[in-house]
Amino acid sequence: MHRYIIRFSKLGYIKYISHLDLMRLFKRTFKRMGIKLEYSQGYNPHPKMGLAQPLSLGYESSGEILEFETVNNINDENIIKTFNMAMPEGIKIIEFKEIKAEGKSLAAITEFAEYRIKLPFKDTMNQGIEVMNFINQSEIISQKLNKKKELIDLDIKSMIKELAINKKEDELIIFAKLDAGSVSNLSPELLIKAIGDYYQIEYDRSEVEITREAITFTKKLQF
Amino acid sequence: MNIDSNLNKLLKIVEKPARYIGGEFNSVKKNLEKVKTRFGFAFPDTYEIGMSFLGLQILYGVLNREDDIYCERIFAPALDMEAEMRKSGLPLFTLESKTPIKDLDIVGFTLQYEMSYTNILNMLDLGGIPLTKQERGEDYPIIVAGGPCAFNPEPLADIFDIVVIGDGEELIVTLCKKHAEWKKSGKNKEELYKELCHIEGIYIPSFYEPEYNPDGTIKNIKKLYKEAPDSIKKAIISNIDDAFFPENAIVPFIEVIHDRSVVETFRGCTRGCRFCQAGMIYRPVRERSKETIETLAKKMLENSGHEELSLLSLSTSDYSQFEELATSLMKMCKEHNVSLSLPSLRLDSFSFKVLQEIQGYKKSGLTFAPEAGSQRLRNVVNKNITEENIYSSIEQALELGWSNLKLYFMVGLPTETLDDLDGIVEIAKNVVDLNYKINGRKGGRFNVTISVSSFVPKAHTPFQWHGQDTAKEFRKKHMHLKDKFKSIRGVTFAYHRTDTTILEAVFARGDRNVTKPLIEAFKLGCSFDGWSEHFNNDLWLKAFEMTGTDVNFYASRERNYDEILPWDHIDSGVLKEFLIKENEKAKVETLTDDCRLGCVDCGVSKRVKCEMGGSHA
Repeated sequence: MHRYIIRFSKLGYIKYISHLDLMRLFKRTFKRMGIKLEYSQGYNPHPKMGLAQPLSLGYESSGEILEFETVNNINDENIIKTFNMAMPEGIKIIEFKEIKAEGKSLAAITEFAEYRIKLPFKDTMNQGIEVMNFINQSEIISQKLNKKKELIDLDIKSMIKELAINKKEDELIIFAKLDAGSVSNLSPELLIKAIGDYYQIEYDRSEVEITREAITFTKKLQF
Repeated sequence: MNIDSNLNKLLKIVEKPARYIGGEFNSVKKNLEKVKTRFGFAFPDTYEIGMSFLGLQILYGVLNREDDIYCERIFAPALDMEAEMRKSGLPLFTLESKTPIKDLDIVGFTLQYEMSYTNILNMLDLGGIPLTKQERGEDYPIIVAGGPCAFNPEPLADIFDIVVIGDGEELIVTLCKKHAEWKKSGKNKEELYKELCHIEGIYIPSFYEPEYNPDGTIKNIKKLYKEAPDSIKKAIISNIDDAFFPENAIVPFIEVIHDRSVVETFRGCTRGCRFCQAGMIYRPVRERSKETIETLAKKMLENSGHEELSLLSLSTSDYSQFEELATSLMKMCKEHNVSLSLPSLRLDSFSFKVLQEIQGYKKSGLTFAPEAGSQRLRNVVNKNITEENIYSSIEQALELGWSNLKLYFMVGLPTETLDDLDGIVEIAKNVVDLNYKINGRKGGRFNVTISVSSFVPKAHTPFQWHGQDTAKEFRKKHMHLKDKFKSIRGVTFAYHRTDTTILEAVFARGDRNVTKPLIEAFKLGCSFDGWSEHFNNDLWLKAFEMTGTDVNFYASRERNYDEILPWDHIDSGVLKEFLIKENEKAKVETLTDDCRLGCVDCGVSKRVKCEMGGSHA
């Protein structure tokens, strides 16, 4: 058994395929490339393959990480090139590595995800957005739906590891490093909501562009 | 306007945005500067349905193989996307290069079912293209149609500039090449049509004009261009083994209806069921060799990474070397860890052996299609199976552990009486009894679904003269059956809605006068009529009323043999005399054999060599 990771980007129109579509795409690509994946045991076997964290539909990414286990060793010197030939436009493999077969899944050790968000805004009221005011709040309040589908207030400050807001002429460029993974997870949507509410920005969600730039882990990946 | 930025916004709002993005594996990108003819293959339904259609993959592949032709795909956007597109002024576009369809040279629609006709109008409208060719004039793309419904193109004659009749994979390339030459010449469209009309399979509706009798029937079909042929012979590919087949089929990102590799094993059918249009218009039967099928299957799986393989034809088991083929494909699929799916099997002992092996413990439902409830009526429609055939297959199925059976019937067949319908009930009862006999009263979960569809007489079939049941008659028959099924446990009874059945009949056998109500219905807001949740019969009734169209004239009126039918100038290769003979045989409940057992003189062998005719004699 061999365990590998690939780092890849998902840019352009292909951001509109869902996580499950992407998994099927990889499964079929491996098949086309003649790479045999390991399968789980049991009644309904599934291939041993997974993303560190699913990416929301409509988000681009320049740093997704997929791990997978194969039956045979991959010894193709030009494996990245081979991969990219087999991939559709928009998915590009940046890095390929074999990792230690033992150890937790990437999903289990995912700690942070970094996002770049473009939030269009028109400073019509000339309210003079002072970016530090938002960041320096003692608590950052956003809203989310609870299990009863009621909107509740939530302080997200502790889940924001890093935050930078850059004011441009007609947009805010936000860089955020947010909790990700099974222990604590913050969706960038909540951050966008908090920023929008704080500055009373009117924006159309369909004009917001989100790119995930990196995922980091609790421990360094062992190569 | 920049389509990309506008589209990008809409895609964040709509459901399943991946329907609209293109870029799938094996989809084709070309340098637009270097192509001469830009063709848009338009499927008048959603992406998921269109991408499951093998014909699209074939024509896409065969056109894009040519350097100077670029074929791109166009689908009907779902209602949410359409609303957003109209709101923001985004015109209908091709998936590959996001070009507005108005900027293409040719837009070709496939006519797979009549209930998609309003979608065609809607797509043209969304593309900013006027609906009728008179309005389009020399501007705008040339609008083409093909597919099975093109065998009666008259209801859409004012919409389409060119109609392609018969096998498309060679004809469509010829059409595009001729177009490229014409485009260079700078002549007007009429000049192109004058040249094209001499090619077998090409029909130029504007070169013909029907004249009508006072009663609305056709008096005569007048030719407006005297060099145009009197009748349009369908295009036939005589050797299908050498024909193009898409080894590099597009692999959709999202799940589509049939998400698998498909190989067409043969075209046509020798059984001669009298209600079946496909069985008539796709004659003669032409088979791919076993070796070709195996090679194609292997290549398609390798090139797609699909998890499933399926075969396509009108009757899987009729393939001459079916046992050998099934055995070898089963072996191949097992080696490649791919599942095999064999639709429309005739359920004999070999098929059960195959099904046992490919389905194992995960048994899906089994489907039987007796079509009619009595032997008498099965003889009328020439469905050559007996009660014993049905029961022995069902017995085997039950013994092998299938517990979910589905039986298909039709209601409204010619000469049908309530006794024939009671036969359906009788069969259902007997199936339930068989299950008790085999599996006992506590035999576990068991269900029979009796599904009845409503018969729609189709052009180019022996029943093309038949007056369809009226809505009232259909309802009476449905209620009769529903009532009888109430008291039978373990049977689910399902039937189709009547209003769409009548509508289908109007357009299946309509003339040029039904174009008006079609356009009217579209203007009133009809689209996706084949989707029961979108179908709006009231709007259709209004459209017929506003245009003074008598639905009964098209649907329930019995025609006589002397009447000139709207599609009489379209030559399917099957002789009218043969259709009459078959209709007469139906009236006296007489069967016609499968023509593998001996040629039945349908006429198609006069056009091309018919290899299967008499092959089992």
